[in-house]
Amino acid sequence: MHAMLAQLGHSAGAAAIGQAEVFGSWTALIPLLPLLASIACGVLAFRPSGAKTKWAAWCCIAGLALSFVLSVVLALNVGHGLGHASIFEWIRIDRLRADFAFYLDPLTSIMLIVVTGIGTLVAIYASEYMWGDRGYARFFAFVSLFIVAMTCLVLADNLILMYLGWEGVGLCSYLLIGFYYDKPSAVAAAKKAFIVNRIGDLGFALGIMLTYLQFGSVEFDVIFRQIEQWTAAGMEMSTATNVIPFLLMLGAFGKSAQLPLYVWLPDAMEGPTPVSALIHAATMVTAGVYLIARLLPLFLLSPYALPTVAWVGCITALFSATIGMAQYDLKRIFAYSTVSQLGYMFMGIGVLSSVGGTFHLFTHAFFKAALFLGSGAVMHGFAGQLDVRKLSGLWRVPGWQVVTASMLVACLALAGFPLTAGFFSKDMILAQAFVTPGPGYRLLGWIGLMTAGLTAYYTFRVFFRVFLGPVAYKPGDDHHGAHGDHHFHPHAPGPAINFVLIVLGLGALLAGWVGVGGGHHGWFGGMIHASSANYEVAHEPGDTAGFFGDPHRWMMLASSVVGILGIAVAAYLHLFNRAAAERWRRAILPVAVLAEHKWCVDEGYDLLIRRPLRAMGHICYALGDTLIINGLVALAGWTPRLIGAAVRPLQNGRLQGYGLGMAGGAAMLVIIVWWML
Amino acid sequence: MLLTLLLIPTLTALAIMMRPARQAAPIALAGSLLALLWAWFVWRAFDFADSAAIQLAASWTWIEPMGLRFSLGVDSVALMLVMLTALLTPLAVLGSWTAITQRVREFYLWLVILEIAMLAVFMARDLLVFYLAFEFTLVPMFFLIAVYGSTNRARASIVFFLYTFTGSIITLIGLLYVAWAQWSHSGHWTFDIGVLTATAASMSPSQQAWILLALCCGFAVKVPLFPVHTWLPLAHTEAPTAGSVILAAVLLKLGTYGLYRFAMPMCPVAFNQYAPLIAVLCIIGIIYGALVCWVQRDVKRLIAYSSVSHLGFCVLGLAAINTAGVSGSVMYMINHGLSTGALFLCIGMVYERYHTRSMDELGGMARRMPLWTAFTVFFVLSSVGLPGLNGFVGEFLTIFGAFTSGQPLQGLPTAGPLGPWYAAFAGTGMILAAIYLLYFCGHLLFGAYHVPDAAHAAGHEHSHHRLPRDLTLRETIVLAPLAVLCIWLGLQPDIVLSRIEAPVTQVVTSINLSASQPIAAAVTAQDAEGH
Repeated sequence: MHAMLAQLGHSAGAAAIGQAEVFGSWTALIPLLPLLASIACGVLAFRPSGAKTKWAAWCCIAGLALSFVLSVVLALNVGHGLGHASIFEWIRIDRLRADFAFYLDPLTSIMLIVVTGIGTLVAIYASEYMWGDRGYARFFAFVSLFIVAMTCLVLADNLILMYLGWEGVGLCSYLLIGFYYDKPSAVAAAKKAFIVNRIGDLGFALGIMLTYLQFGSVEFDVIFRQIEQWTAAGMEMSTATNVIPFLLMLGAFGKSAQLPLYVWLPDAMEGPTPVSALIHAATMVTAGVYLIARLLPLFLLSPYALPTVAWVGCITALFSATIGMAQYDLKRIFAYSTVSQLGYMFMGIGVLSSVGGTFHLFTHAFFKAALFLGSGAVMHGFAGQLDVRKLSGLWRVPGWQVVTASMLVACLALAGFPLTAGFFSKDMILAQAFVTPGPGYRLLGWIGLMTAGLTAYYTFRVFFRVFLGPVAYKPGDDHHGAHGDHHFHPHAPGPAINFVLIVLGLGALLAGWVGVGGGHHGWFGGMIHASSANYEVAHEPGDTAGFFGDPHRWMMLASSVVGILGIAVAAYLHLFNRAAAERWRRAILPVAVLAEHKWCVDEGYDLLIRRPLRAMGHICYALGDTLIINGLVALAGWTPRLIGAAVRPLQNGRLQGYGLGMAGGAAMLVIIVWWML
Repeated sequence: MLLTLLLIPTLTALAIMMRPARQAAPIALAGSLLALLWAWFVWRAFDFADSAAIQLAASWTWIEPMGLRFSLGVDSVALMLVMLTALLTPLAVLGSWTAITQRVREFYLWLVILEIAMLAVFMARDLLVFYLAFEFTLVPMFFLIAVYGSTNRARASIVFFLYTFTGSIITLIGLLYVAWAQWSHSGHWTFDIGVLTATAASMSPSQQAWILLALCCGFAVKVPLFPVHTWLPLAHTEAPTAGSVILAAVLLKLGTYGLYRFAMPMCPVAFNQYAPLIAVLCIIGIIYGALVCWVQRDVKRLIAYSSVSHLGFCVLGLAAINTAGVSGSVMYMINHGLSTGALFLCIGMVYERYHTRSMDELGGMARRMPLWTAFTVFFVLSSVGLPGLNGFVGEFLTIFGAFTSGQPLQGLPTAGPLGPWYAAFAGTGMILAAIYLLYFCGHLLFGAYHVPDAAHAAGHEHSHHRLPRDLTLRETIVLAPLAVLCIWLGLQPDIVLSRIEAPVTQVVTSINLSASQPIAAAVTAQDAEGH
């Protein structure tokens, strides 16, 4: 590890060396345009006509699309360089400087394009999907607000502005999970998401403070430059540099739903499906990965930080994959899959494949958004039906071919099928686990490979059950609810939904190619290497000999085999011989039931944390306050009686009387003081 | 200038007494708006370049042989609180417009008198003027609770009065002791705050400790700090809306302001020494208050307990004794005034419609009162410390102050008695705040819609009262300025922070210097050189 630290001097923070190019305040339009859209939608939400026209959707789409265009322009201008833009001063006290200012490097560009791009697509999709909902305008107000917060998070040039975005996306997540606020389960899920995130956020906040103590600043630029100087000078690292990454990690694990704070994400599926795609799959939940990638030089200061990230990511990936295999709810399966894939991203960064981690973030945004939006189309068309046991053979139903095709592509990408997007990014991570020297990293690689097989299995379990096989479906008990059970006709998706699915499907198919070829991991690798996440352990010279000497080569083969194996098993159990699946399930019934119940983690948290805390609240209230208050009241009950007996004639119960008494009291006071003189 | 600010509400009070009852509310509104306008003139007249100095000072001989003078003056911290008071009084008046139907004239009279007393507290430069005004706030508040409160009002008003009165008597003894010491030292009486502060600050540590204890008795009850907070929930729950708003927004700040204005500069050594103890009480209060909030079924009591938790942060910032912490604390005083005041107004609006505050009887208001819900969620977010809104700045800076207090900054020593662990424990309050406030939202705002039957029927027939389902224009006008301020202060906290930096730094530096810790002295000297 210390050898790695020595190398760090040469590579990390390379981007910070160059003079930052100063950008004008037009960059502020990237969060500002969605903000204007959000305000416009918010106004519409209070008008009765808000849900009767599509104005809100148009506002939102326009704001987001323009923001996307500006992001692309910005990315082209930043290129492989480093930029900075100051918008306005925010919090300044002592030496603390937290301004609205942007740190612009290729990592920022990539994240911005993903966030605003997927955001625009989801807004287009939702303009059709949410139609008819009474909260139509409110939905778009929240979605635009989310983009505002997320772009702030991504653009921030200091930790406190990042924290603003961080909490802001948490808020929007809360508002959107609880969008159907009449549903108690949605309200509970929203609350859970916010609170679990707050636990992580406390770590983040404390991490910010410790960073300030250590570096005298919370600005990335200053921090990176200092780290560079220290490592160049070979300075001894203090305890603080070991603690800071762990505090920040807590925040990252909360936002990105890693063990032990992942429990909120599956419940977050209570929100409208476009939200699940945008916030809880493609963008917000990757903020934790972004945080670590952004602060990679800081994480490299501690020899324990990145291995912890890698191990937590890997265990989360495996753990949630096992739960995902046993679920029946379409969206929940993909939710656990998201947790699992986020685990891969952390593992990637942890094993020092920052390109792999961020690349997986990038490809995942496409295929997971496609999966959720496809599921949403199914849910929309089949009156809220999400149970994979009650849907079958959809591709034969008229009007569902686009959905089926894009789902197939996205499933292949998630399963890591050769040459799809997920295949390239996942391989990069797994192979790097075998290259980077670190505690048990090889084992990580094997676990990751195995999990890839499980992923392929659960993904195609969904696909084979829902889209292939004999045509059979039951409608759900839905809130759109106009359909009667007897004459149920699935409501095929319209042009907006199909268009978005096609775009995302193409993304899932082709996004992988930006990370292939020329030099180091293609265009994408070049971008990341020019950012603050620039770090990659080179191959040992002797190791690259031959096919099996270079994990980046044999991993492609190995993961293809594992992926196809997983798909084959799924095909047998869920397409050709569905009865066998049930037999297998019964054979391992206790395990299956436990996995279905999510290994009872929620119940455990409830029993060990929530209930004791609430009990403490009751005890404090009953013993502390009620008793004392009652005692006091008893005392108060007879004190005035005593006084009252003495001064009864003075109390005539009238206002003037009391005022007079007050004046008398003040006079008494003055007389006492006088007398003391 | 400042005297006029006191005279405007006084004349308003006289006008209310002389005009018929139905004109009381408009007169009170006009008068308090005029006071707000005048406060704005005061703000303009104040020279912020020299914000640590007492400005706009005016002094009249009151009782010559005792050295008692009626002197007024503000520094920027006091001015902030004057502005807060001047802003919230008209909103409280407007918020009570339809809620008060009996003994109307007295209600507005007491409210305006309360404003006079509060303004006088913040503007006083004479110890006895301060103390009299401080005590005098009890009287109008007592009547507001006792006459216009809900079912338990008698109990609540008596507990409120006895509790705070007992505490402040001890404070008076402490203050008089300082005055006496000054007299025995110099041979003439004076109650000038500046002089007495210097006198107290030069006393021995043990004397200072006793003075601190005496001052804390009154101020800690007012704040209220754990464990002397128990009067607060009862008083808040029973008080009428305007009473709760003023109580939370301004009266509690009398305690923190007292600590800032008197306890810190008068007993620098003792305050520095006992700051960890105070901080521990704050942290207990933060956690305790939050946990108790979580089990409340009465929404008003829930918000009341949240004040216990929030004010813990506020005093924690003071105990950090560094610029960030103390500035954060002053910021917190303003923010808590805005957001908790607004939350009490919101609850009042629902209470006026359904005559209940119980979460068992109310729920899912979002469906029926979308605008009200939007405002309530907004103020909840401000209260929970969402970055971008005002609450965050105060909360973050107080925790930040506690965290960095006395910790080496980039290897250089800094002054202050606390450290990261205080911040970490206090920080759990951030999580707990989210828990209880979202519990509040989840039950009152969201979920299935239900309201008490009778009120429900009345609401439809418009017979029981004339209020529509959602907010009226008047109610929106009450809440909107607070919301605007929450965003404005959240994004431009510099409006406050840069203006209070000088007086705060002065207090902090003087404590650190006289705390006679070699490190602290060295660092502050270094800072002075740096500036």
